[in-house]
Amino acid sequence: MFKFLGFCLMATVGLAHADEAQLKRGAHVAVEVCSACHSLKYIKYNDLMKLGLTRAEVDAMRGDKDIGGPLLSQMAPNDELGMFGIVPPDLSLMAKAREGGAVYIHDVITGFYTDARGQSANHAFPGIKMPDVLMVAQADAAGKKEIDQKANDVSAFLEWASDPQAQERTSLGRYVIGYFVFLTLLLYFLKKKIWRRLD
Amino acid sequence: MNKIVAWIDARFPLTYFIKHELTDYPTPRNLSYWWGFGFLAGIVLVIQIVTGIFLAMHYKPDSSLAFDSIQHIMREVNYGWLIRYLHSTGASAFFAVIYTHMARTLYYGSYRRPRELLWWTGQGLLLLMMATAFMGYLLPWGQMSYWGAQVITSLFKATPVYGEEIVTWLRGGFTVDDPTLTRFFSLHYLFPFLIFGAVVIHLVALHTVRSSNPSGINLADKDNIPFHPYFTIKDLFGLGIFMIGYLLIVFFKPDLFIEAANNIPANPMQTPAHIVPEWYFLPFYAILRAVPDLAGGVVAMAISVLIFAAMPYLDRSRITGGARYRPLYRTMFYVFVIDIFVLGYVGAHPPTGTLKAVGEVCTTIYFLIFLLLPFVSRWEEKFVLARGLPPAVEAMARKEIAEAEGNV
Repeated sequence: MFKFLGFCLMATVGLAHADEAQLKRGAHVAVEVCSACHSLKYIKYNDLMKLGLTRAEVDAMRGDKDIGGPLLSQMAPNDELGMFGIVPPDLSLMAKAREGGAVYIHDVITGFYTDARGQSANHAFPGIKMPDVLMVAQADAAGKKEIDQKANDVSAFLEWASDPQAQERTSLGRYVIGYFVFLTLLLYFLKKKIWRRLD
Repeated sequence: MNKIVAWIDARFPLTYFIKHELTDYPTPRNLSYWWGFGFLAGIVLVIQIVTGIFLAMHYKPDSSLAFDSIQHIMREVNYGWLIRYLHSTGASAFFAVIYTHMARTLYYGSYRRPRELLWWTGQGLLLLMMATAFMGYLLPWGQMSYWGAQVITSLFKATPVYGEEIVTWLRGGFTVDDPTLTRFFSLHYLFPFLIFGAVVIHLVALHTVRSSNPSGINLADKDNIPFHPYFTIKDLFGLGIFMIGYLLIVFFKPDLFIEAANNIPANPMQTPAHIVPEWYFLPFYAILRAVPDLAGGVVAMAISVLIFAAMPYLDRSRITGGARYRPLYRTMFYVFVIDIFVLGYVGAHPPTGTLKAVGEVCTTIYFLIFLLLPFVSRWEEKFVLARGLPPAVEAMARKEIAEAEGNV
């Protein structure tokens, strides 16, 4: 029994915090690259300040868009439909909506190559309609490393975007679990005490 | 205070009720923690109703708004994420608790005479719970919600003659759509209160026949202790352990029971690569798919859930205490539990090659266990009596056998 409680305590400590600098870099990539075609409709510009971006940085990102407005694609959906054959999917929940989450997103972004027929193709997503925006297929070793970093940053950002309360949840969760472990211990001793009357 | 209580007691049996059902209610002192799962189920029902009421204040049962309203709850509503995760994890917790509760009943033979009605009201509760969970799963209006509902409602096509009409009637249209969502929302709000009523009936039946106990024999009066304070505190400690496990999932792994595909809004034009129901339906889903013909599969699935009700008659042994004194019954119990887990695994994966065969074999075993039980239990009774039993258990068994034979 105590072993189990010990395990519960262990589970509540030592959870990795997302790297703030990485999330900020990822936010830049999302707004400056991804949102050319993709929306993040559940994220508002002022949400980005929760990542540690300053008001001035967010103002520079949003241009003339409302600070309380969602991060919408810079293209109209109809134009996108004409250009790509589909409306690029919203990215707010992408890290939750695919098996593999952020790792999968990273693999798709960096998975582009030129196939035997000279066509652009993707290892992680065969038949993808998205162009190789970071130009992975043409990059040299140094370039690939830089792209890999960008892909990591934006994947981390999208993971945050899919679950912005994660940090609040885990930090509150530690107190809640701690409280219940303590309460349960008290109940255990109270139970022992009450049942002793039967001896 | 005493005056107030006296005033009430003259008009309503308050003190009598508390004494009769709580402070004097005789409970076998040897009940293990396995007997605490009914109490846990009651608490989870309350958690689900309370969180559900708060979710309904912010949720929009409209096919164009439902998905966004869940994200509104998750992101804008104060502690909306907590309420939603308590509710979505609570559904899984509810089934985990109820399945354990049922497993305890089966292991210790608690369904036996005189507890048949107690067992059947429980069976009714299980059906209500399954219906509630199924309808609740449509509400987030994600891809898995939508296609799950599409697949399950289409099973009613197996109804003779009126199949198509019944499916259309259930959905409120030719496919799952806005009318389906609104009616599922309405019923998902109604059913928990029906469950609550059925729980009251379940408890009335329990307090009439009283709890079974692990020894299998009817205990002497001195071995019965008042429910309060002994079992209130024992159940509360059990609840503490349960809450730690439940809240670990809610706070640290809340997506554990949410399919990735359900984070994509429902799209009637695009079928997901592979449609799976929630984990608690997987064994039954595997049975459905193991039968090649739709009508046969639906009938097999329905029987696989309803057959539990027949247990008091399928088990013809007069040895009390369930699996404790019955080696064959015990073996069958463990085979059944393993079989269900394997069926669950099969239900979660596409039915190809070996897995298809495994599903078919496990489905056969599932039904064979129930079908063989009447014969095995009678044969085992003779064997166990010949081998010898603790005197109290043997006396009870012999008395029951004599009574039964006297009636013939």
